[in-house]
Amino acid sequence: MPQGKIHRVGHACSYTPTALIHAAGFTPYRVLPVGDSPDRAGQLLHDNLCPHAKRILDRAMDEDLPDLDGMVFMNCCDAMRRLSDAWRTVRPKQGVVLVDLPVSPTDTSVSFFAGELTRLAQTLQEWSGQSFTSADISSSIDAMNEMAELLKEISKRARKGTLVGGSSRLQGLFNRGATEPLGQTMELLRSAVGAAERRPTAQNGVPVYLFGNVLPEPEAFAHFESCGVHIAGDSVCTGLRAFNRIGGGNSEDVFWRLARGLLDGPRCPRTFHPSQPGKIAEEVLAEAQACQAKGVIGYTMKFCDPYMSRLPGIRDALREAGLPLLLLDGDCTLRSIGQQRTRIEAFAEMLR
Amino acid sequence: MMLQYFQRLASVTEARISKYPHQPNARKKFALEIAKLGIRLYSGEHRVAWCGVVAPFDVLSAMNVTSCFVEFVGAMLASTGTVGMFLEESEHAGFAADTCGYHRAVLGAAMKGMMPVPDIMIATTCPCSGGLAAMENLARTFKKELFVLDVPSSDTSESVRYLADQYKNMMRFVSDRIGGSIDEDRLRESIVKSNRARELMIEVYRLAQHVPSPANGQSLANFGIVMALFLGTDAGIEIAQAYKDEYEEMIRNGKSGVPDEKIRLLWLQNRIQFKHPLIRLLEEEYQAAIVIDELNDITWDAIDPDDPFTSIARRTITTPLNGKISQRLDHIQRLSKLYKVDGAVNPCHWGCRQGTGARGLIQAGLKEVGVPVVNLEVDCVDTRNFAEGQLRTRLEAFMEMLRSNPTAHGA
Repeated sequence: MPQGKIHRVGHACSYTPTALIHAAGFTPYRVLPVGDSPDRAGQLLHDNLCPHAKRILDRAMDEDLPDLDGMVFMNCCDAMRRLSDAWRTVRPKQGVVLVDLPVSPTDTSVSFFAGELTRLAQTLQEWSGQSFTSADISSSIDAMNEMAELLKEISKRARKGTLVGGSSRLQGLFNRGATEPLGQTMELLRSAVGAAERRPTAQNGVPVYLFGNVLPEPEAFAHFESCGVHIAGDSVCTGLRAFNRIGGGNSEDVFWRLARGLLDGPRCPRTFHPSQPGKIAEEVLAEAQACQAKGVIGYTMKFCDPYMSRLPGIRDALREAGLPLLLLDGDCTLRSIGQQRTRIEAFAEMLR
Repeated sequence: MMLQYFQRLASVTEARISKYPHQPNARKKFALEIAKLGIRLYSGEHRVAWCGVVAPFDVLSAMNVTSCFVEFVGAMLASTGTVGMFLEESEHAGFAADTCGYHRAVLGAAMKGMMPVPDIMIATTCPCSGGLAAMENLARTFKKELFVLDVPSSDTSESVRYLADQYKNMMRFVSDRIGGSIDEDRLRESIVKSNRARELMIEVYRLAQHVPSPANGQSLANFGIVMALFLGTDAGIEIAQAYKDEYEEMIRNGKSGVPDEKIRLLWLQNRIQFKHPLIRLLEEEYQAAIVIDELNDITWDAIDPDDPFTSIARRTITTPLNGKISQRLDHIQRLSKLYKVDGAVNPCHWGCRQGTGARGLIQAGLKEVGVPVVNLEVDCVDTRNFAEGQLRTRLEAFMEMLRSNPTAHGA
């Protein structure tokens, strides 16, 4: 792999083992559903498919991406699998790999997933033309963990209201962490952590807990705040959930450790414990209560089956606990959030 | 309501069969076994497992569990014309109308107490995320623990071993809940029957390829997917034998499923499950026969009775709806050639991400082998969204195009 140039490998899911991509010498580059590429994905994917997948394909069709040495897709849901199919069609010469992602973190599935990660490592080696060792992977995990810790600290400040720039700045940092070379991001994050905190504002906004899938636009967070809510806690795919600290584990096998860490980490509803069906509802409630939210906002993509199917359970659990819920449909455009302004303002008003 | 429906269906169908006892009565025998399955599911007298679409029904049959994929109930409710109230029930509970109609119908039925509380619940990650989510919701409704069969996307030795191990765990899961041990002889017997049905089904499909075809728009509707429920049983063998006999006799007598067959069609994925006039339109106005449904095929090798789980795992993983779209495209391209089809009908079931989601890719893939496709915007279960006029116009335009551009495939 020629030196001096940034070599990126793309991905599109918060379950992607970015440490593995990093260990192979690449910059993991999350293809975020942002920008204003024209809507052309419908040529290959049906209108009823998640806008997250379609916006990503729009970017690929519009060449609105930096050079990518390959693309890693996690087989996390139907939409992502179909996106990987369509990607192969629009970029037939690009290396593409689809990695199976088990739905539950049992020992058997963790072992299988570890095998999938081993296979991915081999593919990454082929793409880079250079080998890497378990020790390389371990040190990439450590580096990624350090980034996760820094982002966690910055996130805490944003949630307390002491981060200069607030939630929109935080989202900007998440996006840079997801797309830029690790060295540059770490420098930026260390400096953000080292900077003085602002005084907690009088917190004009009502504290709410935000959950959902993709919300990468920093302006969206500014928009929420301008509507009178303060995001006191969150779980979204493009936030802290994508920067999951991989634990030490008891295994000497680094692939097993990575597999266990990814499957045990903060999850989107596509991953669940079969012995506790519907548990995500309890988890959302517990997290909302932990951050002392007065209400909950669910922001999910249209046509996202994993979320849409679990929303009734979440709504029931919140209702029983007396926590109001506002559900917002998204389509990966700021316009759609703008259209929800009145509803968000009314929700904030109701919570006061 | 459902029990009475199935009981009535069984008695009416039995009466019809007894009227012509010497005829093969293939479709009627198929309907009768569906009715009997419905009675077993709803009578409260049998161990019941609600499952995902690709559960190993022959294995569950060997364990004396009456098992069925939940989408079957959605389809039955649609076919009886009662699905509306169940869809509304689930929508009132917050399930979005943009999700799959099969799953909304089943969830509504469960909420209204129209689904028997199962002894076992076995979800499958294939074919879709929506189906898995529906199973999780049903498990929450029934307060049951779920067993999930996590189906890998590719046919590798690691994937096959992973799934085969899950089947063994599944058997323990079932055994722990219904009591008793696993009877190896019973399993072997079930596998032998499964293989016999498989051989007969291969024959049935081979006969359906004949030009003109003995198949018509209804005779093999929902056949392949529902036959999976009868694998491992005598009923499965009897149904397949009846179809084989019927088709052989028709070919012998020069009789085709659609008289004066002119156009041969491939139907993709699911049928529209409620009563509608489109098949009649195809047959009567264009002499067009649906000679092949995508899901009517044997894509697996015979199951090895000495190592059944490895074979069954491979059977599941190689299901065309699993994994990458290239697997599905290879399959429908192969079917198009084998059955000499002139065109394909793709009912783009609203809410189906895995199937309909790939509409453009499927169209492009069939174009490669010279097969034009008409995409119909429908919900195969939800009658409320059936725009008959628009669909009729689209189909008519497509048929006119096929009629004026006869392909080398055509009859």
